[in-house]
Amino acid sequence: MIRISSPDERREATGRLAELSNQNIALCLQCGKCTAGCPFAEYMDRVPHQIVRLAQLGLIPELIDCEAIWYCSTCFTCESRCPVAIDIAALAEAVRLIRQSEDGVEMYGPDQVPADIAALVPQQALVSLYRKFAR
Amino acid sequence: MKVGYYPGCTLKGKAKALDETTQYAVGLLGAELVEIPDWTCCGATTPLTQTKIANLIAQTRLLSKTRDAGYDALVTTCPFCFSTLRRANLTLRNDELKRKRMNTYLAEDRRLRDYETPPPDYVPYEGETKVLHLLEWLRDTIGFDRIARACKGSRNETLRVAPFYGCQLLRPAEELAMCDPEDPHILEDFLRALGLQVIGFPERIDCCGSYLSVAKPAAALRASYRILDAARKLGADTVAVTCPLCFFNLDYQQAQMLREYPEFRTIPIMYFTQLLALSLGVPLDKLGLESHRVDPRPVLERVPREVPA
Repeated sequence: MIRISSPDERREATGRLAELSNQNIALCLQCGKCTAGCPFAEYMDRVPHQIVRLAQLGLIPELIDCEAIWYCSTCFTCESRCPVAIDIAALAEAVRLIRQSEDGVEMYGPDQVPADIAALVPQQALVSLYRKFAR
Repeated sequence: MKVGYYPGCTLKGKAKALDETTQYAVGLLGAELVEIPDWTCCGATTPLTQTKIANLIAQTRLLSKTRDAGYDALVTTCPFCFSTLRRANLTLRNDELKRKRMNTYLAEDRRLRDYETPPPDYVPYEGETKVLHLLEWLRDTIGFDRIARACKGSRNETLRVAPFYGCQLLRPAEELAMCDPEDPHILEDFLRALGLQVIGFPERIDCCGSYLSVAKPAAALRASYRILDAARKLGADTVAVTCPLCFFNLDYQQAQMLREYPEFRTIPIMYFTQLLALSLGVPLDKLGLESHRVDPRPVLERVPREVPA
């Protein structure tokens, strides 16, 4: 099903994303340096510069369904190479926050990580995973 | 010289070797790392969205406790702790509203907690504590030249080390202000001071996969494989890391890399503090090497282990 949103709804959505992430997404030039440097772009259904474009257009339903937001390791390579200093990791975090507040489904919380994996990895991996990918 | 030290959770758990060699080596350099009182988790990551305000409390509490214990700086070895604490400190210095909210909460929290001996009244934290990574502290307080002199007796220029920074020490560079994010050199300078041969390693600023090794194992495996494959092809004997999560991803995942990539050859991973302790003459059995999946001993046996005179 395709849901068509009104221009007002989309403007409001863009504002919400910009405020949550504290990023001036309107500045994006679509140069693609973020995508060129992203270590996980090859796994993403929407690559980093496309995520920013969707955010500019206020298309929240498309954004929260992206698998890409779960491939961001917050390494800030995109942020460090962006000519207009947009932190896409912050934008991805804002999208995850909206997604989690809307459907309430936990994908990578303490109950989803298998016990043997949790016992194996360094503590910081779990804390950072839960802080980034769980509520 | 006593220094306020924040080990963080992983250094007391999965990365004991990093904590132990840090303390051991700093002791040999004539200083003492003293853990700050009642430390807790730092939060591991910086909250990037504006509503996640509660995620700054742990950092504010740690930084104010360091100040209250009489230290002007907090030294940490883990890049996650370093990045989280330094970024939080910057936020507390520059964002009046967040600073106010944190201080209001912590003052209240101190009154409400059930302490055996009630602590003195809370003094609002304004960002006074300096957050330093151990590498910065070694460079600016001890001095790489002094380290080079201390390591002189055990110089071994045949050990070829690929320095690996990962993400948390470098980026966001304008906030961390530690190195050029595209061309850092502090780790190279440090390793050269130890008398080791440093390899020019373009992949040193890449991401190892971080916590994606839990959420998206295939992606993290490939990211780590690319780094190690490049190091091997450049002729490195070992890869030097600062971060326990880089260590895990690069070391532990090698068994899986051997299955996934037939041409892959294993390469041992070393913490930078293990290399420091080694170069200062600490014997191999005191470096925590038994926790490594890929045994570095065959490569390290070439380094003389006598304590320099």
